[in-house]
Amino acid sequence: MIELENLTKHYTKGALTTEVLRGVSLRIQKGEFVAIMGASGTGKSTLMNILGGLDQPTSGSYRLDGVDMARAGDDELSRIRNQKIGFVFQQFNLLDRADALRNVMLPLIYSDDDAGSAARAEEALAAVGLAARKHHHPSELSGGEQQRVAIARALITNPAVILADEPTGNLDSRNGLEVLAVFQRLHREGRTLVLITHDSGLAEHTRRMILLQDGRVASDVAVPQPRDAAAELARLAPTAVAKQPELPAT
Amino acid sequence: MADRRRKPPPPLPLHLSRNAILSCQILAARKLRTLLSMTGVVVGVGAVILMVSVGRGAEKRVLDRIHSMGTDLLIVNAAPARLMIGRERTVATVTTLTPADAQAIREECRGVVAVTPAVNKSLVVIWEGNNRTTTITGMAAEGFHIRNVVPGSGRLFDADEDHSRQRVAILGPTVASSLFPGNDPVGCQIRIGGVPFSVIGVTQARGVDANGIDQDDIIMVPLETAMHRLLNIPYVHSIYVQARDIPSMPRVESDVRALLRERQRVPPGRPDSFTIQNQINLLKTEHEAARSMTLLIGSVAGIALLVGGVGILAVMLMTVRERTHEIGLRRALGARRRDIQTQFLIEAALLSGAGGLLGVFAGVLAASATAAFGLSDTILSWPAAAIGFAFSVTIGLVFGLYPALRAARLEPIAALRFE
Repeated sequence: MIELENLTKHYTKGALTTEVLRGVSLRIQKGEFVAIMGASGTGKSTLMNILGGLDQPTSGSYRLDGVDMARAGDDELSRIRNQKIGFVFQQFNLLDRADALRNVMLPLIYSDDDAGSAARAEEALAAVGLAARKHHHPSELSGGEQQRVAIARALITNPAVILADEPTGNLDSRNGLEVLAVFQRLHREGRTLVLITHDSGLAEHTRRMILLQDGRVASDVAVPQPRDAAAELARLAPTAVAKQPELPAT
Repeated sequence: MADRRRKPPPPLPLHLSRNAILSCQILAARKLRTLLSMTGVVVGVGAVILMVSVGRGAEKRVLDRIHSMGTDLLIVNAAPARLMIGRERTVATVTTLTPADAQAIREECRGVVAVTPAVNKSLVVIWEGNNRTTTITGMAAEGFHIRNVVPGSGRLFDADEDHSRQRVAILGPTVASSLFPGNDPVGCQIRIGGVPFSVIGVTQARGVDANGIDQDDIIMVPLETAMHRLLNIPYVHSIYVQARDIPSMPRVESDVRALLRERQRVPPGRPDSFTIQNQINLLKTEHEAARSMTLLIGSVAGIALLVGGVGILAVMLMTVRERTHEIGLRRALGARRRDIQTQFLIEAALLSGAGGLLGVFAGVLAASATAAFGLSDTILSWPAAAIGFAFSVTIGLVFGLYPALRAARLEPIAALRFE
């Protein structure tokens, strides 16, 4: 699914060249749930941008779902982002003026395959447990709900991989767990998920932890006992899932 | 960085309609700004339409005057021309032009269909204590046709009455209404310069001529009556010559000139002892003046439209900056540079196009108001409205191009990080 081979990324500013990635090689199979970890400045954001087709490596190769990403042009990268990648951002990045349904439909505007977009958006919202909130605007939703709308937006094109950058970074623990519970369910349904985070608590909910240090892979281990977000949520407040808490937006 | 080593041929923008819907929603969400940014275009297009309407109204007035005077008319005046207050006028009394000259023109010049000599003098006219000084024109019956004189009431005189020197008079409407307020002048006796005349008719109104003179402030009497019973002169002041059609006028004019020079024995190289006025030339000048006025005000309005375009440019640049983050998001979700560019171009075109539409509305309204308040004749020009609207959309596209290109050139990562 994802194959990185000796990937490097240098940034040049004037005479100064910063080596952010110094040869990253890794493989992620279809259906995996992976956390890429590292302190700030270790290159995980850069890696995320390259994985997401938003940036290109200085050298090395990157194949996503059989496509050579390092050689793709700007238009092709746009198409790949649209069709093969679902982004989930720390800041949710929803459009305030559009309701949940329209936000979820947004990627289809740029897709050639937009048949039945409203129905597909409703399906995607149902998959994250927000079918009843399709006509709410982001300002009327809790942080967790907003992030779940963002996940629905990532799901609507049925992408090869979902890339989430600190998806719980702006959420309190309850909302964070809600989001993680959705990710875990998507994993059980066979989706490929890559989380980028500095939070080891978050990483413990995945199945594999890749640690970046100084632009290289320092460790790559399976999570021995993945935590179950839904169970933690139930312990936190037994009724929480049923009553859909109304928390103010973060 | 995103390079484009493999560049596929750019397909047509697939998402034009979806982009347009999107742009409409965005514009609708910012009503005040949308409205303000359109103001320049509204004013520009409105001004174009108003000005062109007013200009065309003025043009039509001139053309109407050409029509009322008869366009195939040459007027030979007895005196050489002098420039007075910018116009050629004949001033001195010259006694060399005679009815025989008119007869010669009729017989010898080809392309002439009618000729009438005429005398003119300003005299006091009296009716029952009302008096008025007006122009008395003595002319042959043939002259009615040449000068487009049509009876409004009563009748015109005929050639027999002319030859028998009858004292009959035909009044212009201006004279009729000032001498006979509330009365029908036909059948009344008036005194012209002390000589009694009976009024046999009143002409239809003819309006103002090319020199701005009221053609209805006139009394027409038979030529022979005027020459021998009123003015006691053997000569005439002018000869009206009607050409067969407008294309033959230049030749008729040169023939008449050659004939009269010969008859009056003007040596070669000396200026004419008479003046030939060509109505068309006179009116052509006015028509051109009116046209160039239309063009001038049209271009001033065009400049207003350009200023409106700069307004669009400013607002679009602001919008792009404000929505940088959104652009980054759209790029991440799969929008190509072209999609972003198209979206902002459509937005700019919609903005100025809507402004243009409002401007058309405002311009039509203003033109109608101008006409209704009698400030000026206006003729609504739908081509001008269409061009104004098309121009406004074009201006949106032209001035929207730079902001749209800037939006499209944003790097997705940098745009996403932008707060």
